[in-house]
Amino acid sequence: MDEPMVDASGAQVKVTFTTSEADLQLPETKRQLLVPADIRRYGLSRVLNSESMLDTGSIPFDFLVNGSFLRTSLEDYLTSNGLSLESNLTLQYVRSLIPPVYEASFEHDDWVSAVDVLSESSPSGRWSGDSFQRGQERILSASYDGLLRIWNASGQVIATSPSGSHGGHTASIKAAKFLTNSQLASTGMDRTVRVWKYTESDHFSGDLKPTLELYGHTGSIDSLEVDGASKRILTASADGAIGFWSTSKASAPEADASLLPGAHVSKRRKVTTSITAAQRGPLSLMPIHSAPASAAVFDPRDRTVAYSASQDHTLRTIDLTTSTVVSTLSTSHALLSLCALPRGSGAPLLAAGTSARHITLVDPRASAATTSVMTLRGHANKPVSLCASPHNEYALVSGAHDGTCRVWDLRSVRPATQDEGGLGSVSEPVYVIEREGSGGGKGVQQQQQQQQQKKVVAGEGCKVFGVVWDAELGIVSGAEDKRVQINAGRDVVAE
Amino acid sequence: MGSKLTDKKRKSRDSDPESDDELANGLFDGILSQSEDEEAYLPSDDGDEDDVDDSESEGTGASGDEDEEDDILSDDIPSDVDSEEAINRLVKQQGELEITEPGVDPKRGEDDGEEKNYRVEKDANGGERYVYDEIDPVYDSDDSDAKGPVNTIGDIPLSFYDSYPHIGYDINGKKIMRPATGDALQSLLDSIEVPKGWTGLTDVDTGNPLNLTQDELELVRRVQMGLLPTDLQDPYPDTVEYFTSIEEKMPLSSAPEPKRRFLPSKNEAKQIMKLVRAIREGRILPYKPPEEREREEEEQEEVHFDLWQNEEPQAPNPMHIPAPKLAPPGYDLSYNPPEEYLPSKEEREEWENADPEDREKEYLPQKHNALRKVPAWGSLVKERFERCMDLYLAPRIRKNRLNIDPNSLLPKLPSPSELKPFPTAVQTIFRGHEGRVRSVSVDPTGVALATGGDDGTVRVWELLTGRQVWSVRLNSEEPVNAVRWRPTKDAFVLAAAAGEDIFLMVPTHASVTPALDQASRDILATGFGYATNGQQPAAPVGKEPAAKWARPGTKLEDEGVLIRITVRSTVKVINWHRRGDHFATVSPTGQRSSVAIHTLSKHLTQIPFRKLSGLAQTAAFHPLRPLFFVATQRTIRCYDLQKLELVKVVQPGAKWISSFDIHPGGDNLIVGSYDKRLLWHDLDLSNRPYKTMRFHGQAIRQVRYHRGGLPLFADASDDGSLQIFHGKVPNDQLENPTIVPVKMLKGHKVVSKLGVLDIDWHPREPWCVSAGADGTARLWM
Repeated sequence: MDEPMVDASGAQVKVTFTTSEADLQLPETKRQLLVPADIRRYGLSRVLNSESMLDTGSIPFDFLVNGSFLRTSLEDYLTSNGLSLESNLTLQYVRSLIPPVYEASFEHDDWVSAVDVLSESSPSGRWSGDSFQRGQERILSASYDGLLRIWNASGQVIATSPSGSHGGHTASIKAAKFLTNSQLASTGMDRTVRVWKYTESDHFSGDLKPTLELYGHTGSIDSLEVDGASKRILTASADGAIGFWSTSKASAPEADASLLPGAHVSKRRKVTTSITAAQRGPLSLMPIHSAPASAAVFDPRDRTVAYSASQDHTLRTIDLTTSTVVSTLSTSHALLSLCALPRGSGAPLLAAGTSARHITLVDPRASAATTSVMTLRGHANKPVSLCASPHNEYALVSGAHDGTCRVWDLRSVRPATQDEGGLGSVSEPVYVIEREGSGGGKGVQQQQQQQQQKKVVAGEGCKVFGVVWDAELGIVSGAEDKRVQINAGRDVVAE
Repeated sequence: MGSKLTDKKRKSRDSDPESDDELANGLFDGILSQSEDEEAYLPSDDGDEDDVDDSESEGTGASGDEDEEDDILSDDIPSDVDSEEAINRLVKQQGELEITEPGVDPKRGEDDGEEKNYRVEKDANGGERYVYDEIDPVYDSDDSDAKGPVNTIGDIPLSFYDSYPHIGYDINGKKIMRPATGDALQSLLDSIEVPKGWTGLTDVDTGNPLNLTQDELELVRRVQMGLLPTDLQDPYPDTVEYFTSIEEKMPLSSAPEPKRRFLPSKNEAKQIMKLVRAIREGRILPYKPPEEREREEEEQEEVHFDLWQNEEPQAPNPMHIPAPKLAPPGYDLSYNPPEEYLPSKEEREEWENADPEDREKEYLPQKHNALRKVPAWGSLVKERFERCMDLYLAPRIRKNRLNIDPNSLLPKLPSPSELKPFPTAVQTIFRGHEGRVRSVSVDPTGVALATGGDDGTVRVWELLTGRQVWSVRLNSEEPVNAVRWRPTKDAFVLAAAAGEDIFLMVPTHASVTPALDQASRDILATGFGYATNGQQPAAPVGKEPAAKWARPGTKLEDEGVLIRITVRSTVKVINWHRRGDHFATVSPTGQRSSVAIHTLSKHLTQIPFRKLSGLAQTAAFHPLRPLFFVATQRTIRCYDLQKLELVKVVQPGAKWISSFDIHPGGDNLIVGSYDKRLLWHDLDLSNRPYKTMRFHGQAIRQVRYHRGGLPLFADASDDGSLQIFHGKVPNDQLENPTIVPVKMLKGHKVVSKLGVLDIDWHPREPWCVSAGADGTARLWM
């Protein structure tokens, strides 16, 4: 191990190791090295871990050459890129990523439309403040049967929302989110946003009580975003409107009577509810889209700014204090999902899933010269759910109707080919997470092989409807296969 | 001839009057004979005279013979005597000539007696005396220049006066006396001493003896000799050479010779040079004897010239067609071919036995040990000749190969990638129907999808996720043939046809607000009031109404199905008017009532056509104007609903139209047919298709334009595929629509020869939904 290049047979390549991680810096003298040409990632990782180099033991490393990960031997890389063996290669080593290993599945009675996670590092956990106890991670799942379920990390249902006749949703739930560890909000095809009070008697049983029914939308509500700190809810509905709601009874205005159930329905059809929650209207309802709005999100830094995406191809920036549209960005496809990726400085980057099966990254700033920054290609069907990585600002996960969740690293970029429009840059997924607990995450090539074997057309039966990436629990996704699937999310993407 | 002679005799007698008597003696014979001759022609002669004449004529003939003998004996130049003899001879010859005339006998003997130019008187002796008339001296005038008339008696034969002494009358009425004739002695004397110019003839005119002068005789002689009658001029006089023949001893002029006489003549020099040149050039050759010349010519003929000796290759002119090249020699033409090319014995025999024309090859491959042993090729000349004949006779034409790149002829179609967006892949599969899905429809907001299938159910789905949100079973036996959303957003009404029933329903979708739901129900319910108020036109008595509008019953009403319209036969097609108050249904088997227009607000069903030529297949309202299109199997008719008249007949040329759709712009039409064709019609342009497309292997079931502003249309075929077309209709009327097939969408399975049965577009996005016979509906985007 001392001199790994001595026993190398054949050609040798001169490499220079660099890294951006402060705790893994090599001494200046050791950065240049001659390595065998046929060495691969594993060999290079062992070289770095050796006593003479970093003496770190067994940290898996990945190596970036010219911005892309080294997946072949050095010799193959050189020949495929037309470089000579005498050229000096600069290898940037980063901590290797761990595949998002499948961990668990929670069975449901119907399609799972949305999931959310309550944990210490999740937004709801942070909004809960001190009342949240570590180890009390909860998973919220919304199902097409109109029920909300709250699970603990070991897969036990702690609480289930009442059915439609008992104050619950009268139709499929499309979105649900924890506000805090004691409050959550859900919405769905019944056009209502419901705020629930969640109480746990012990750690194994809890109770969900509707506290508020918010009326205002005239179409199915597909997306819900909450801000626990300001107790505000943002919804996007198929009627093209963006709703801005309050979770407190006091601050919410009265609901429009015509939208309330039973307003025009004959007595025979009237649904009798034993528990009646307060019915309120929106703080503001912004019919700003000409087509169904698919998602609305808060700006991560400034909660008075929201972004909304719609099937009318536009992405709008909304000032919530005045309920006005600040700017409108037009894209070339219908947008089906939206996620704001916080960036260290300035406005967030918006990732929007489109009907053209890719995810467009958009800079919402009006001053930006090019609005479309990057395109993430790889999904075979509509990406309908996006979630930023809790660990860093370069990664995100997307759930799509092709039955996969894909993990993207925005740093791995290549220019777009002619087929892809030739403009901007393109990234491809780092990991593809399949459904059915079939061994968790795999490399792209493995996944393609498997897809050929499975031949699932259009993700039928396993469409992913919701995905959340949590620091503690990992990647949690709910899908048409009536399961919530949990995959490991730590160290999936290089820091 | 004879008469002329006598004239001349008389003249001569007249001109010589002294010898009248003499002449008269000798002349009588001739005259009388002549007159006799003339008389002889008359038939008044006795036989005796004839006999005498004969004898006399014989006698004269004998004498003539003697004279002739004398003539022959004497070679002398004729003298006067001779001339007389000559005259005699002449006369005799004339007599002979006359004798030769058949049946005519000259009577000279009696002439003497009858020719009496005198008066016979008795003289003193008692003898007869001939008294001749006096001679008028007038006739003997000396005036020779002005000759008097020789004959003054007129043209009367003298024979008339034979019995008179005169021979006629002069101008004064006096008798012209007959010239006196001598007596026999005188005659004898005369005959002995023949006067000059005696002829022995009597002038016929005057009766005088005809004496001829020497000149006249000479004239006669000349005439007889065939010479010129006059001797006045010699026709061939000797040349009198006045100048050249006389050599001048002394020159007439002593002037010195002119200078030009000493200078050589230029003209001559020219002529000479011409000859010299001709000699030099060989045009004038020295004389050679013919044999030598022939020999030389023969030698020259054998000289051959090579016409093409100096021929230079020329650039081929445009019409030049090079001769086709001969095939290069193969192995079998080698003098030493490989063994396998040599013919076997049988082949050789076969070749030899075959007719030369039937032989496949004109030669047999032969093997020679050495090239020098190869014999000459016998038929070389023949082959060359035939080759030349082929080249000369075989017509060759220049085929202009078109130097056109075939690709350049293809119309410039934009590549599909430039025509995005269009649906490319299946994104959602709607499973749930048992049996075929017969019809799909996307609701005007683009959120809900309605399907109807063979299981008699109508289902409503969430479009993007494929979640079924509502379902109702309309009919347990009949399939749902058509589902169509009411095309306005103010209500949420779905029309579906199952069997003979058309159902109007408001699906109780949870995302439908109560207000919208109520509005929809109101729209459906208003017609009931209308019907009960009796404002509906009363159906003719005894005639079954076109349709029956009723409530479908509590069970269905609970599900949201609010109206059932029962027509007479199975409804296959429903198409709404854009305002949503009318919809048309077509039941192809419905005969007269196959096309019906239903009015929702009045619950009224009308049959617009009393008679339709052909089976109605489908019908639709024009998207903008009050026009109504009805497709029968072969034609599509366009009716104006306001004027109630036929506007246009579109003839796609398809054998059986399955469906058609009108472009939202209203000016174009696509037609799908069961004979696999998709036809684009420009309604302004022609009744015939603008473009015919044949991309499917099976019948086309449905065609549909995108109605949300995208230039797309699609067709659905029984081969299980959908074809997506880019069909841009330009704003400029002069431009033609751009039609580009952009995508073939495959995925539906073919079940019992049925593939995709229906297709519908999303109202805004380039997404389409198809209904398949495999029990699925699919969303493509």
